[in-house]
Amino acid sequence: MTAQMKLGAFLWATGHHIAAWRHPKAHVMAGIDIDHYIQLARTAEAAKFDMIFCEDAAGLREANVGIASQTSRSIGFEPISLLSALAVRTSHIGLVSTASTSYNEPYGLSRTFLSLDHLSGGRAGWNLVTSASPIEAANFGSTGLKPHADRYERAREFAEVVTGLWHGKAPGHHGQSFSVRDPLDLPRSPQGAPVMVQAGASDVGRDLAARTADVVFTAAQTFEEAKAFYDDLKERMAAYGREPDDIKIMPGVSPVVAETEAEAREKHEELQELIPDDVGVALLSSYLSISDLWRYPIDGPLPELPESEGMKSRQALVVEQSRRDGLSIRQLARHFAGARGHWRIVGTAAQVADELQARFEGGAADGFNVMPSYFPGELDAFATLVVPELQRRGLFRREYEGRTLRDHLGLKRPA
Amino acid sequence: MHLAISLNIAAVKGQAVLDFGEIKTFVRAAEAAGIDMVVISDSAEGLSSGPFEATTLLASLATVTDKIGLVASASTVAHQPYNLARRFASLDIISHGRAGWHATMAQGPREAANFSRPEGFSDTDFRRRSEEYIGIVQGLWQGWDADALLFDKTGGRFHDPEKMHLLDHKGEFFSVRGPLNVARSPQDAPVVVLSGLTEADFDIAARTADVILLESGSAESAKTRFDDLRRRATAAGRDPDAVKVLTNISLAPDDEPAASMDRLETQLRAKSCDGFNIQLPAQHSALDDFADRVLPALRQRGLVREGYRGATLRSHLGLAGGGDQ
Repeated sequence: MTAQMKLGAFLWATGHHIAAWRHPKAHVMAGIDIDHYIQLARTAEAAKFDMIFCEDAAGLREANVGIASQTSRSIGFEPISLLSALAVRTSHIGLVSTASTSYNEPYGLSRTFLSLDHLSGGRAGWNLVTSASPIEAANFGSTGLKPHADRYERAREFAEVVTGLWHGKAPGHHGQSFSVRDPLDLPRSPQGAPVMVQAGASDVGRDLAARTADVVFTAAQTFEEAKAFYDDLKERMAAYGREPDDIKIMPGVSPVVAETEAEAREKHEELQELIPDDVGVALLSSYLSISDLWRYPIDGPLPELPESEGMKSRQALVVEQSRRDGLSIRQLARHFAGARGHWRIVGTAAQVADELQARFEGGAADGFNVMPSYFPGELDAFATLVVPELQRRGLFRREYEGRTLRDHLGLKRPA
Repeated sequence: MHLAISLNIAAVKGQAVLDFGEIKTFVRAAEAAGIDMVVISDSAEGLSSGPFEATTLLASLATVTDKIGLVASASTVAHQPYNLARRFASLDIISHGRAGWHATMAQGPREAANFSRPEGFSDTDFRRRSEEYIGIVQGLWQGWDADALLFDKTGGRFHDPEKMHLLDHKGEFFSVRGPLNVARSPQDAPVVVLSGLTEADFDIAARTADVILLESGSAESAKTRFDDLRRRATAAGRDPDAVKVLTNISLAPDDEPAASMDRLETQLRAKSCDGFNIQLPAQHSALDDFADRVLPALRQRGLVREGYRGATLRSHLGLAGGGDQ
């Protein structure tokens, strides 16, 4: 049997495209409709996805209220409650949520995810992130952002305590940021421990992932970027006594798929035209961690940028792309607004499958985190068009073989 | 009369734990009997072996029930106020307006030690902190007006920026800017249930709580406390009926249901509370006994409603802002 890729369904309210909510076929009330999410989870489960994945932020995404009001991203479900609701309405699919180490405590977070793991019979995972947004900081009494290295030191300590608690240890931990006396008062996980996911791509983020992660999400536009990241991360694992297979690397991919290539392109154009310029520029600004991009001519090039304390690796990716392709701010804004810096493929099921197969077999990915442009339509399209194509090629499962998320991902069960 | 059932899923030391299916079956039986709400807590003095945390269990129960109110205990030490407000706002939308937050004014002995506060809080600090905390959470729940979301695809207006409000709270213990990134509650705001009160907490409870759970005592002392709380609510500028006071009772398994019912009726006649909070251990036998013997007796006496009139917890409790009254 050929090796098979892992697939995540990244659910995000109306869709990953910034203007998704305006699309005639997008469900505009997604952020307040639990039945919509139950349906999406069942679609992904019927297509045998390894997991559904939810992002999170403890605050608004956009400080400018005028801009925010033209997107659907200011309201939505809190993901742990959302996944707990989905846990008892699904039977196999993994349930992974983001939660920040910056504004939580390890005892509470490990306990909550372990409960989700019990409710789902061993299908829970935690995506560890650190928070860089000043909007989030203002909701937690913080006066200024901690430097990148401090955030990661706290994250490292946080991950260590959580892992210990999940493994049933009595921590007696008194560290720099946390103190935890007792073991968890919940039984061990049905899958040994919930799955640990990470997405940080900076140098210190990669080291933390190499040491502790089971799954790594990443953003990579080109095969070369994806391959370089993949090789680098797997190489770092040896230092922590881990095998390359112990981590599944799953780059984000935002496909726009249709029966014919022309239809797919049309569908993509339709979405791009729904993006208001000020929204596109604002989104690009926040990814670059600069606030005054709107001051520059929209049809001119990206200005020189100072290095920020925010998302270092994402910034580098955007700058590199703009220089490489000679894009104006407007072009770059539209481009990034659509897929948020992730890899986009527009085409038929066979074309999408070709691209995924090339990265999978070329050693640049163990699987993909699929980011549909709008819901439910584009998840349906991936499930009914691309998944069967991958199955025909023997690249994706036709049935679940196990019951837990670790089973699906082929991860070792911790002792 | 209002009836709540409290289920502590942690208090099962040495017993077989309840799985999700058993809890679901019990909550559905309570729903069929017209109980206002189930209050789920998940922590015990010693180490317990229940597999679930209360807010996550509540989310699961919300998708397999339709009417009954669902309240989860969550500690003000274990969560940041912004995170707790989000969790419950989200639970309220998942349950279509049936969620409540149960906070206790008593410090849990294990929490400070496990949540990086080994020094704990003095009683007076904890009291001031709790009031500030509850105020922040309730304030965050009001951050979006009920008609803030426009969903206007062609006009490109998802929400009305004028109808989203910052909290801008800066207090002794917390500073929280807001707004919440969860939409307005279908029942205006999740219900706040307070317990563990000493008399020093009565003013805070009268100012902030929707439901107060009080330990049982003699009918006279219960009546005195009930009247006292209503006076304090009035003094705080609230309608005294906007605060429901429920008396905690435990039904011993070998009590005859008829004798228990007599006790409840006596207290109600004395106008010493708005209803009762029946505390059950998470044991198969206790749940079975309650469903098989106590619920029919309650129905027979007319102590529970025939059916739910509204769809939200606020409407079950007769509180303003029920969304469907």
